[in-house]
Amino acid sequence: MNVLGIGMLFSRGLGIQAFEHTLQIGWQKPDAVALSEGKILPAFLANLETVPDKSLLKKVRRADKLSKMAVLAAADALGDSGLPYEHKKTGIILATAFGAHVTTFDFLDGILDYGDAAVSPTTFSNSVHNAAASYISSSLGIQGPTLTVTQFRFSFSRALELAKIWLNQKRCDYILVGAVDQYGDVLGYVSDKKSRWAEDGKIRPFLFNPTCAVPGEGAVFFLMSNTRGGNDYCTVDIDFAAGQQIRQDSAEVTIIDADGMYPDESVYRTAVSPDVRITAYSPLFGSTMNTSAFHLAAAALMMKRQVLYAAPEQSNPHNLNLLTKMESASIRTIRCIGFNCSLEQVITTARVMEK
Amino acid sequence: MQKELLITGLGAVSAAGSTIEETLDTFHHNRRNAVPVSLFKTDLTYPVFEVKHLPASYCLEGQRTVGLALYAAHQALTNARLPDLSPYRVGVCMGTTVASQLNDLEFYKELRSTGSTPLTAVDRFLKGNLSEYIARSIKARGPVLTIGNACSSGTDAIGVALSWLKSDVCDVVLAGGADELSHIPYCGFGSLGILNEGLCAPFDRDRKGLNLGEGAGVLVIEKKSVAQKRGIDSKLFLAAYGSFSDAYHLTAPSPDGVGLKASLAAALAEADIESQDVSFVNAHGTGTLDNDLVEGRVLAELFGAEIKMLSTKGFTGHTLGAAGGLEAVFTLLGLREGWIPASAGFHHRDEKIPIAPIQQRTSVNGFFAVSTSLAFGGNNAALVFGREDRA
Repeated sequence: MNVLGIGMLFSRGLGIQAFEHTLQIGWQKPDAVALSEGKILPAFLANLETVPDKSLLKKVRRADKLSKMAVLAAADALGDSGLPYEHKKTGIILATAFGAHVTTFDFLDGILDYGDAAVSPTTFSNSVHNAAASYISSSLGIQGPTLTVTQFRFSFSRALELAKIWLNQKRCDYILVGAVDQYGDVLGYVSDKKSRWAEDGKIRPFLFNPTCAVPGEGAVFFLMSNTRGGNDYCTVDIDFAAGQQIRQDSAEVTIIDADGMYPDESVYRTAVSPDVRITAYSPLFGSTMNTSAFHLAAAALMMKRQVLYAAPEQSNPHNLNLLTKMESASIRTIRCIGFNCSLEQVITTARVMEK
Repeated sequence: MQKELLITGLGAVSAAGSTIEETLDTFHHNRRNAVPVSLFKTDLTYPVFEVKHLPASYCLEGQRTVGLALYAAHQALTNARLPDLSPYRVGVCMGTTVASQLNDLEFYKELRSTGSTPLTAVDRFLKGNLSEYIARSIKARGPVLTIGNACSSGTDAIGVALSWLKSDVCDVVLAGGADELSHIPYCGFGSLGILNEGLCAPFDRDRKGLNLGEGAGVLVIEKKSVAQKRGIDSKLFLAAYGSFSDAYHLTAPSPDGVGLKASLAAALAEADIESQDVSFVNAHGTGTLDNDLVEGRVLAELFGAEIKMLSTKGFTGHTLGAAGGLEAVFTLLGLREGWIPASAGFHHRDEKIPIAPIQQRTSVNGFFAVSTSLAFGGNNAALVFGREDRA
């Protein structure tokens, strides 16, 4: 399965170029959010106002922020590929951990404020889990299979696995597979109670225990195909391993999904090899359930550019073999490693495309 | 490959019955068990189809959808004679709408009014991912995925199961859908103006909207080679899945039914059959003006006006994420039993729809049957099931 295009909307803007720039310059101070208890804390928030071309946003003006982020990132992935696409041969698989929770709570506001009979049909429609995928489909005219999946930490990984299967079974020629999640006040409240929030805005992915988080939001989409063309970033494979951890020695770099969302991320220590350089880019985009999607984008970019980007936060109490500076390199394989709360492991492997 | 994915277990719980046997009895006697809402307080008066009996061990506080799904899953596993899953790679793929959302009204009400509340509801949600919960409960060791594709979720989940099995990522899959009757969509569908003050009447000239329901429908789908090794021989099989999008509107189906047509065409092609090979169609048939008009026209165009067609939503209400799972079970029961029930609620033919559902219990003895789902967001999905001794 080949990555032909990447689209992204996150706290540093729209597009893979914005992500590349962020990887190059490193950590920047995130936004601030106010919690209900009067606390002001950092969070990496996407700002739709900064999107230069508003034509697509106009098309989905009734959509909520979650759907708008998804539409912009999906369209950006198609644009990045530069490929014309066949409407019925392109599928969509959208992964989301929490879906349209902000809109759902807006809808609950309607019930609480106005009663069962006076709620907004538009708000309800936008709160449905597959609204974002629907807006992608309708705004871009994509008529292939369109699926929304949710599996918390593994939402994107399972979506990626299914994309590979669908392409191999020729259910589609191209698939837009991506992840989207949004920050909201309730999620902020939950994060504050369940995680240790990094008050300075710096996730330190190599501390492992105790961890610290900075909530993030955004959307990342990939145009995948078994054919070549477009931007030809890399090929991708994905494997799941339940109940065992696999050390990976054959890759040039391992990217770990540690982002402070779990209080103890020590499992990553046992999953990496001292012979392979390690990095994590969560300090650039925040703690989300979709870290693996951002990391696959980083791996694809490194493969395409043959450049290794430095780990943006390098606190390293365990003396790991960190990627400490940006450098040119001959890269053939990068592995991205993630765990869910049951300590099941997913390994996403990006490989250079053969000429 | 067509007959390689056997259906070895069925489980269903809905207002039509808490077991397969009760459901068949309800179908046979054409009973419609709609009631006023009893599961939550509401100002609205639209009737609903609630599950009357859920065994106490499945009544999980704040997790009714999970309880319904587990009950149906255990029925299906018992039916499949699969008490020990340890030798197999077992996947779980379930569709839902309610269980995929953190939408606990009491939690939110308290947080909103006091700025602080215990996280009990959040913890329940985080532990209640439908497929993950079932996988943990039955100790499944295979892929796990929850589908949130609105009203086609259950059908799509079975389609994903088909893809998993064909690509050999597992040997057996529990697939289907589950949803509880929830206050939130009850208000939401009410706001859209598509809930019926009376009983739903799918495809009827005088149809006035849908009734919401709840339940779960689960299939055990396994590779024929696996079933044969353990001495199980089922005649029922999953032949194909097709899914296409309308790319039209968030809540309304495309008037020309473009996505449904493409889904059915893809499913028939994968099953390697022609439309005339299909014995009957279990339609989505919600009882709303738009859905039934578009779906009826597409079915008539593809299968001809004489195809035996029904909607079972007159017995269950629209169970949202559960609908595709339940209706897959009902379609397979039709193939297994050799009869399908009357399309409950249908009395008057709509001249705008060139096809009418069956009005009485009808024998079916064909090889294949189709189940369709149309969803919010313009999703369309179709499954083809077969019976091997006839196919």
